[in-house]
Amino acid sequence: MRMSLAQRVLLTWLFSLLFLIMLVLKLDEKAPWNWFIIFIPIWIFDTILIVMLIVKMAGRCKSGYDPRNGAQNMKKKSWYLTAMLLKLAFCLALCARLEKFTNMLLCLVFIPLWILLIGGLIELGYNVFYVRRD
Amino acid sequence: MLFSLRELVQWLGFAQFEIFIHILALLVFTVLLAIKVDGLVSDLGWWNVFIPFFVADGLSTYFTAIVTVRLFQDGEKRQAVLRLFWILTILSLKFVFEMLLCQKLVEQTKGLWFGLIMAPVFILLQLLMIRACRVN
Repeated sequence: MRMSLAQRVLLTWLFSLLFLIMLVLKLDEKAPWNWFIIFIPIWIFDTILIVMLIVKMAGRCKSGYDPRNGAQNMKKKSWYLTAMLLKLAFCLALCARLEKFTNMLLCLVFIPLWILLIGGLIELGYNVFYVRRD
Repeated sequence: MLFSLRELVQWLGFAQFEIFIHILALLVFTVLLAIKVDGLVSDLGWWNVFIPFFVADGLSTYFTAIVTVRLFQDGEKRQAVLRLFWILTILSLKFVFEMLLCQKLVEQTKGLWFGLIMAPVFILLQLLMIRACRVN
């Protein structure tokens, strides 16, 4: 089952809006909540995406699946799953740091995000500079 | 992942190259932010930390101006004007948000509350939702 563009946009919009509202409440000291609670929309959104990715990847194991041209697709899906896990690791580390559970440097918190952004830039750069030239 | 690159370009109205510039700016910004917060460089101000975003906004505006001129030359005036208005609206809202946030971080003014700083982002979200309906 594939969601339509409108459904995907609505999902992203709804969770972004919820997160921003909770973030503003926290930053303006109107809500004395834990940072992990503020990030609840992010956790839910990430969980939905990870489950969707895993279900799609598991679909390959079904009997009767045509594996032609599947290797490239599987590689892409694996990268997406890694990217989601990196994002999740970054959010968890950030929350831990904001809640002062740990005193690690912000450079260490940002490492998963940097890997994610560099990976995204490489993929995008390939599309912008290489594929177009072809 | 959730959106293909083609869908993102269609929805946001930015070219792939512009998206590339903004992600690169985000990467440089996070590096500078980490350096600033960890105190690795003592005389790094908040305005300096935000420079990558301002540069990306400037480059994006320049790129949009070139695309608009080219579209005008090709006779696609309606598309040129619509693209120019959309991109300038998005970039101005982003720029206002960055300026307000930077101002808040520099001066720690009590009057400038985060609800106010985030107002351009909320407007941006509504505009993106409206555009998503149009794209569909």
